[in-house]
Amino acid sequence: MTTTTSTTSPKGIDPRGPRFTAGVTLVLAIAALISALLVPIGATVGARAAEPGFILLAILAIAFAAGTLGGPPRNPFGIVFRSLVRPRLKPPTELEDPRPPRFAQGIGLVLSVAGVVLHLAGVPWALAIAAGFIVIASFLNAVVDFCLGCQLYLLLARAGILGRESSAA
Amino acid sequence: MTPPAVTGRHTASIAAIRPYRDGMDLPVALAVTAAVLGVAAIAGVLLTRARGRARTPSSALRLDAGALPGLDSLAPGATLVQFSTEFCTSCAPTRRLLGGIVEARDDLELVDVDLTHRADLARDLHILQTPTIFVLDADGVLRTRFGGAPRREHVLAAIDAVITSERQSA
Repeated sequence: MTTTTSTTSPKGIDPRGPRFTAGVTLVLAIAALISALLVPIGATVGARAAEPGFILLAILAIAFAAGTLGGPPRNPFGIVFRSLVRPRLKPPTELEDPRPPRFAQGIGLVLSVAGVVLHLAGVPWALAIAAGFIVIASFLNAVVDFCLGCQLYLLLARAGILGRESSAA
Repeated sequence: MTPPAVTGRHTASIAAIRPYRDGMDLPVALAVTAAVLGVAAIAGVLLTRARGRARTPSSALRLDAGALPGLDSLAPGATLVQFSTEFCTSCAPTRRLLGGIVEARDDLELVDVDLTHRADLARDLHILQTPTIFVLDADGVLRTRFGGAPRREHVLAAIDAVITSERQSA
């Protein structure tokens, strides 16, 4: 029973990686929120694409896309963690299933893409609202180690909506 | 004069469809950002408090020996059942904590149930997070449940409550 589970599950990751990523995400999302509130919205698509809030949220969207498609360690901030931060830390005592944080990255991707696309289309509060949600979720992940997207993944997996059964031997 | 009137109507219609919002003043923007962070902080405090807290089960549940994989017998005092999954970060530390408590006394037992491939069990027992810990009395009745990694003193208090009530009813 235990042998089949170890072959079907993905390799565990250092849980401090996603938390570091959430910290960097939090800082960028706060900056995106403040600038989205401060800067008037441009009249043209080009002007809106040049606004700092848009650029910051677009950077987050790219990072979330990498973390969703390649898993949390592929997020650029996760790469920074592995190459610069982790060598200075003690080895991790426990490993974490990468699937819940990967799902959480996917939620961040949906939020940030919705924010930038709606902003380009000229929806007045799109950028600020998307940045606000990302601030709250990354704050909870970075500061109190509570990953909202991971909890959602677990709930959906429990309900059988996300494929868990496929890995059952 | 026709041309200015046309121009005026023209710009007015553009303004009506043109998405435009003025920027906020800096103090207002900072206040809104602080409010968003405040919401996150309040949610964080509430979530931290709820994590690992002892709960009295809302509905009666009795688990006889053999009802769960690994639950071969019930201890004379209290049986702790930990539900874990693979790669659950706080499961192994919790198992060590509970193992230490159980090892020191001979009226307690600890059973570890892996839920990774038992979504059916998780659903039936309403387990939404791991680790979840059940404290069963000598008859297998669920007395207390912990969602999330519990603190040592809270586990000890739950065990004491079970054993005290067993003595009183004996």
